[in-house]
Amino acid sequence: MKGEKLRNLSFFLSPMIIMVGLFYLIPLIFTIYISFTKMRNWNIERYLTEVVGFYNYQRLFHMFQHDPLMRTVLLTTIIFVGITLIINVFGGLLLALGTFFINERSSSAIRLLWLLPRMSPIAVYSLVWYYFFHGSEIGTLNSILMKLGVLSQPIPWGQIVPWGAWSVIIFVNGLVGVSFGMIVFTSALNQIPKELVIAARVDGASAWQISRKILVPMMKWHLLYVLTWQFLSLLTTYPHLFLLVQWDLVSRDYGTTLALYVYNTAFGRGEQDQGLAAAAAVLLSIIGIIGGLVTLKVLQFEKMIHEPRGDIE
Amino acid sequence: MRDVETRPKKGEWIIVFTILFASLPLILGFALLVISSFSRDMVTNLSLSSFRPTIENWINVFQGKLAITGGIRQNILKITLNTLVVALGVSGTVTLISTLAGYSLSRIKFKGRKLMMLLLLMLHAFPGVALIVGVYLLYRLTFPQEPSFVRLYSFFYVILARAALEIPMSVWLMKGFFDTIPWELEWSGIIDGASRIKVWRQIMLPLIKPGILAVALFGFLAGWQDLIYVRTFLIDQTLATFIEANIEAEYSHMPLIAAAGTLYLLPTIIFFLTAQQLLLQSYSGGIKG
Repeated sequence: MKGEKLRNLSFFLSPMIIMVGLFYLIPLIFTIYISFTKMRNWNIERYLTEVVGFYNYQRLFHMFQHDPLMRTVLLTTIIFVGITLIINVFGGLLLALGTFFINERSSSAIRLLWLLPRMSPIAVYSLVWYYFFHGSEIGTLNSILMKLGVLSQPIPWGQIVPWGAWSVIIFVNGLVGVSFGMIVFTSALNQIPKELVIAARVDGASAWQISRKILVPMMKWHLLYVLTWQFLSLLTTYPHLFLLVQWDLVSRDYGTTLALYVYNTAFGRGEQDQGLAAAAAVLLSIIGIIGGLVTLKVLQFEKMIHEPRGDIE
Repeated sequence: MRDVETRPKKGEWIIVFTILFASLPLILGFALLVISSFSRDMVTNLSLSSFRPTIENWINVFQGKLAITGGIRQNILKITLNTLVVALGVSGTVTLISTLAGYSLSRIKFKGRKLMMLLLLMLHAFPGVALIVGVYLLYRLTFPQEPSFVRLYSFFYVILARAALEIPMSVWLMKGFFDTIPWELEWSGIIDGASRIKVWRQIMLPLIKPGILAVALFGFLAGWQDLIYVRTFLIDQTLATFIEANIEAEYSHMPLIAAAGTLYLLPTIIFFLTAQQLLLQSYSGGIKG
């Protein structure tokens, strides 16, 4: 019996375990290893065995302290993650609450519309905003403002540093992230016993009062969960930023977060420095793992409040 | 169900209107892209005079003519086919692996099951950019010597590597689908003497079809929309790298890129129109865990 169970388990689980080993475990070890070598320009033959100890980390910390470009990257990361996080969580909350109070058909349509940024190809989604914020007359934002008479000539929005560039990257990623909060909060709202809402309605409470006094307090843990999880995603996201910077829509200096810095240092145009990139990546991973552990804690709390609710239904 | 009986009707349109107003840039942006692809000039400047309807852009895209003048040609059909191969490959790999693993995590009691679930969640949150450096080194180290095999290998590798990114979430999603199926059905099979593998294949798989469809669709879209893995590993171009490479090039005619972008958006739109309920349900189910 025991042997059969083992055979079953290996049949069901081994493909997944192999994939995780090949594309998570081994790469992780490789990345850590590269951060201790002098790897440049992917010259594997020459640099793969040239171990330099903590040199890359020293260089990285030196850059944190003295390199103005690196300090800009850090500042951009903090501003980008901070503001986008607030937009994501509150935008998601507002959308979930808003669609809670309207009829099923409109609410489905609105939720689908807001899933569009997440579901459409990264290149197309970025293309949409490329045209929207374009620095010439064909840019939608420019032409609206010019028609209204606010501007007399087009402005290259993403090239105004720092806040123009920051606004564009925050806006573009903000719309992608909103859907995550919206989905989590919507499913949380659907689990709240209807009696509470109906009772409040009978007592004459408005939608705003119901939201503030009943719905939001009951979603405390969901809020915390979305906050931590979205923090992690924003810290590590870079595909949209990559395109916006690559297309010169936003300034390279003020459109680069730490994650994009890692990618561009390892794979970008010109001089590549994988040793340094790997060291920065390891640093990012440490923050990621801590964030992940916090999220797991939150998730378990969430389960704790879920269980008794199962009895009611 | 929502609070249907007691919900006041009169305040409703204010909320709908407010949300639609907030969604305006989103609607406008996507609409202008699609309309521009049917116009001689970009209509993103919102002036009616620049909208001169034509299907020339679409014809040019399919003929691979990148500029109105000049002779640069690219085989867009092949590029679309490349994108499709990656998307189908990712979808197939993800579906197969998560259908297998999801079943055992949902139905078989074994040591380390809970730990495995938690680890998968951690992997999902792990910074992709930290992995990709190592994934590239593995790619280079396993790179075939034989030149004729190189392009095939890059397809093979990008499919597996991209699928791996989707595995943690789809295993969770699949486990959730298996959880909803009553145990009794499985017991009847086991009592009749069937092995777990046989039960999985003959009893569970037919019942889990909606789940398989959901995971396959999500896997398809993940592979279809990917930019970073494709541009890092794949030798051939896909629609993502095609748009990336041609946007800034002086010779590219902008409405033409808009047409390529709209073409690239088509599967997403089809998916939206045909599988709305599946999309909304599995999204909430998947994230809830």
